[in-house]
Order: sequence, then C-alpha cells, then structure tokens
Amino acid sequence: MATLAVTNTNQDKVDAFLKGALAVMPLTIAVIPWGILAGSFALDAGLSAVESQAMSVIVFAGSAQLVALGMIKAGVGLTSIMITTLLITSRHLLYAMAMRSQISPMRLRWRLILGFLLTDELFAIANQGKQHKLNPWYALGGGLSFYLGWNIATAMGIFAGHTITDLDSWGLDFAIAATFIAIVVPSIKKPSVLLCVLVSLVCAVVCDLFAMEAGLLIAALTGMVSGTVYAKLTGEKS
Amino acid sequence: MIWLTILAMAALVFASRYLFLEPKLPVRLSKQTLTFLSYSAPAVLTAIVAPIVFIQEGSSGLDLSLNNSYLVSAAVATILAYTTRNVLLTTIASMVLFFTIH
Repeated sequence: MATLAVTNTNQDKVDAFLKGALAVMPLTIAVIPWGILAGSFALDAGLSAVESQAMSVIVFAGSAQLVALGMIKAGVGLTSIMITTLLITSRHLLYAMAMRSQISPMRLRWRLILGFLLTDELFAIANQGKQHKLNPWYALGGGLSFYLGWNIATAMGIFAGHTITDLDSWGLDFAIAATFIAIVVPSIKKPSVLLCVLVSLVCAVVCDLFAMEAGLLIAALTGMVSGTVYAKLTGEKS
Repeated sequence: MIWLTILAMAALVFASRYLFLEPKLPVRLSKQTLTFLSYSAPAVLTAIVAPIVFIQEGSSGLDLSLNNSYLVSAAVATILAYTTRNVLLTTIASMVLFFTIH
C-alpha cells in the first residue's frame, strides 16, 4: 500500500508538471522566434557563441536581453545597461509580490527555482488568484519547459547565425501580442479589471509615443491603481 | 566585459524575481495590497501589448487605420479570446491572419 501511495504522489507530480508545460505551450511557441532572434542578434552584437547561449541560460529574460544586446552593439557602458535592465526587470518585483503568499512558504529550493523561472509567461499561467493553491510542480512544468524552449530557440539562432538578419521586420512581435491578448481577455471578469486594462493600454501607448523608458511600469501601475480605486468606490466584490 | 555584463544582468534580474519570495523579507502584504496586486497580470501584459499593436514606425507613431495589420489582427484576437476563451486557438488563428495580411 505504501508503495502505491508513493506511486500515486509521483504520478500527481508528473501530471501537474505536464499540465503546467501544456498551459505554457502556446507561449513557448510564440517565444521561439524571439529566442532565435536573441541568439543571432547576440552574435551580431559581437558575443561569442558560448556567451550568446550563456546569456539565455543565465539571464533568461527576453526583453532585457534584446535591449542589452542592442546597447552592447552600440557600445553603451555597463552602468547604462544596468539601469535599463533594472527598468525592464522591475515588473518582476510586482510578480514576486503577487506570488509571495503562494511561494514564500515553500522550501528554499522551490523558492530559488521558481524565482529564477518567474517570467511574464510563467506569471501569466501560474497567478490564478489567492484562493487557488499553487502546485509547485505545475509551476515547474510551465517554467522549465518555457526555459528549455527559450534556450533551444537561442541555440537555433546561434546556429543560423548571420543568415537571419531581418527577423525583426517579419512582425514576430505579434506572436507575443496574440498570446498575451489570449490570456488577458478571458481574465476580464469584473468592470474594475476592464478599467485597469483600458487605462494601462492608453497609458502604455502615450508613454511609448513620448519614448519614456519606464513607460511599461508607469502604465501598469496606473492601470492597477485605477482598477483598485474603482473596485473600492463601487464596492465591487473581489 | 561581456561576461561581467551577463553576470551583472543575471544578478539584477534574479534579485527582482526573488526578492519578494523571500520569507525573511520583513513585509506583510495587507489585504488592500493583495487586491492591488491582483491587477498586476492584466495591467503589465496589456502594457506590453499596447505599443506593439498601436504604434508603428511607418506612420510616425500612432496608427489607428485599417492598414495597421497589428491592430486588425489584435482586434480579431480579442474577439476570438472573448468568444472562445481558448488560448491556443486564439493565438494560432490570429497569427495566421496576421502573417496573411502583413
């Protein structure tokens, strides 16, 4: 019986892991072109093949990597690259805060692994409200399969090398937009969330038109404040 | 120099992801803060998407015309996501549309 119980638990873990991998799959597919771009662009910016792959293996942050590579190519100094990285990565502070009640009680090993894997994509599939208990194996399945996808795509980009230069003019950024729309729209179940999304949208566009570096964060925070205040004023149920 | 950049970036990115997952960090998030944070996913994801969809280089910024294939495809994706609530179907169908008209 004891053996059976263990087998069941392991089976549950595998099931949760696969469920997570499946949930993130559309996002993994959408990120492949970006991984390819990150690989070939890294070579283009003067990194060696090993350095190019190491960036995806160690940093594992798509938008920060691509922006930093552009800056390395332009000969910008380390301090500026770090400040820009800080601006781009600051949204992860919000993600970790939102996941704090779920992940911080877990063991150190889980916290480190899930923290390392906490991308936009993992957050999008793993953050399902505070009532829902996060299964670490589900998050691991999502995070790890996405990590593998990103790194395999980077390797493909390095392998293809300079043969793909015009990749960003193909409109691959739409893949990201499509997946995020597919995730956000069904999550709009209350008027306050709709308001939050609309305010973020308008703010992000305005900030981008004024080329503000912190535009993403400003837009997101403004949207979050709008949603919170609206819910409070109207007494909306959470 | 490249390795230093990679390692420094990695440290910064990991720190931003891990900081609030650390139980020893002395912050207790109030109910109000948690409610506020529950809006983070739609807010951040929308803020990433909006400039991609609405701002195009060719038209000196904001492009609200039907010639903007990003906007048209995103509108279709929104309708599909709303009616089907299927992530994979929405993604694939709108991408096929996008690459057809782009």
